[in-house]
Amino acid sequence: MKAPKDASGSAPYRSAHPTTESAAHSSEARSLVGLLTHEDRDRARDRWRVTQARWKERRSKAFGGISVLWLLVGPGVLVFLGENDAPSMLSYAATGARFGIGFFLPFVALTFLMGFVVQEMTVRLGAVTHRGHAELIFDRFGKFWGFFSMGDLVLGNFLTLVTEFIGIRAGLGFFGIRPVIAVGVGLAVVLAAITTGRYWTWERVTLGLAIFNGLFVPAAILAHPNWSAVGHAMLTWTPLPKGNQSEILLLILADIGATVTPWMLFFQQSAVVDKGMQPRDIKAGQFDTLLGVVLAATFGIAAILATVPLFHHGIDASQFQAAQFAEALEPWIGHTGAALFALGIFEAGIVAAIAISTSSAYAFGEVLQTGHSLNRPLRDAWPFYSTLMGSACAAAGLVLIPRAPLEFVVLIVNVIAVLAMPPALAFLLLLVNDRDVMGEYVNRTWDNIAGVTVAVFLICVGIAFGLATLFPKWLGG
Amino acid sequence: MNRKKERGPAESPEFEPAAANSNQPNLDDPRVVLTLLEADQVVAEKRQTRFGRRRLSPRVRVLLWGLRSYVVLMLVIVLIQVLRAMRALP
Repeated sequence: MKAPKDASGSAPYRSAHPTTESAAHSSEARSLVGLLTHEDRDRARDRWRVTQARWKERRSKAFGGISVLWLLVGPGVLVFLGENDAPSMLSYAATGARFGIGFFLPFVALTFLMGFVVQEMTVRLGAVTHRGHAELIFDRFGKFWGFFSMGDLVLGNFLTLVTEFIGIRAGLGFFGIRPVIAVGVGLAVVLAAITTGRYWTWERVTLGLAIFNGLFVPAAILAHPNWSAVGHAMLTWTPLPKGNQSEILLLILADIGATVTPWMLFFQQSAVVDKGMQPRDIKAGQFDTLLGVVLAATFGIAAILATVPLFHHGIDASQFQAAQFAEALEPWIGHTGAALFALGIFEAGIVAAIAISTSSAYAFGEVLQTGHSLNRPLRDAWPFYSTLMGSACAAAGLVLIPRAPLEFVVLIVNVIAVLAMPPALAFLLLLVNDRDVMGEYVNRTWDNIAGVTVAVFLICVGIAFGLATLFPKWLGG
Repeated sequence: MNRKKERGPAESPEFEPAAANSNQPNLDDPRVVLTLLEADQVVAEKRQTRFGRRRLSPRVRVLLWGLRSYVVLMLVIVLIQVLRAMRALP
């Protein structure tokens, strides 16, 4: 292969190729000895812990596997619980309040299955190439397509980040906390998470916060759902939603956008790289992704079930925001249930704000070819941390502007995510089928069938949305 | 596709004695760090290597342009919807 050039097209680089060779055994080992960084040492420390756990696993079969998994789970759970964010949970809540138990329960489970198909590919890409998604797109497709891809990501990420702070404000608003304090608390948590200077600590802190996404489960239980109706709906996909077809289509789109979005691709791949995962960790990475899917699907469905009482009592929730959902639910699920729901929205906003701002920072760092790791100290990777902090501060500031038309942002953010997904999926599929990049870890036939099916499905739903918007009378709008 | 069977942990390069048989790794020793990382995981190595541009076939170009046009068109439609919603506001 010809020696590739850098993004500016000038300096030649050595060709990269997929390898599982230890750095100590590589031909460049001698020259690397004096060039090791803080980031390399932190990553090596994480690898050493995995090594030790595997070594112990071989000696005592009983619980060894669990400690390896404990060390390797993270990016998959974080990406899915991060995507169970404020607008997603609101879209699930709106679904439950508008249509009750029925078609949307198995449909949401299906969207998470699509999420697994897509995200599993990023695990392999990250573990094999040790490069982030943005870096690989710029590397393999050039600046022209790279900047298009980044444009979608930047727009989607910033709008989503704004909605996270809307969720944070609204969630704490239920408890009477003033918007400026609520947003300040959210921003402080996002910034505090990155002061660790260590990927591992950041990941565990964020996972600790993310698990509170489960607050929607007790809220759902307090709504006393009809479990046999839930089982019936999951098996038969009925009753089908009735009413305005445009509205149904918009909710379908919003629910898909609550599960598969471009930022997830960029985030999980970069997190897998930052965690230092290697090809031998792919199975654990797949388990991590599956665990994330199961947890997020359970919590998402719980959010639907929590708001079903609004459907049964004929309360119009079409214009509700987070705090209004919690307030409307109070007579039916009690103050505790409503408080859990509001806290859940607050938590969803916090975790997603952390994950999405980190996703933007990773992508910028990769494109600018500056340090882009949470293992780097602040002074070594200030462009990376500045992007992270800057995007979070800008989104938080926007939410505090009086009379800003934020309801439109909430309305369209998941829709934009779905519409921007097909090109992102095309790049993902092209990369993961690229033998020069993936070596023996390229997609198998079934991976491609599943991936293309998801892409075609998203395009069809997008086209249906476009037709419904341009010709509303076709769907009875 | 048949993938190569993964090496067992004991045979993997990760299991060099320097790394595995100690309670705490001496990460000040560069050899230990290099033993634990794969070649293209080291930051300095990554900076010096690139996968390089792939040749885009006409089919791939058509696909990428088609999807790009799709996104632009859809964003215009979203804008129409937002403008309609704003007009409907009291």
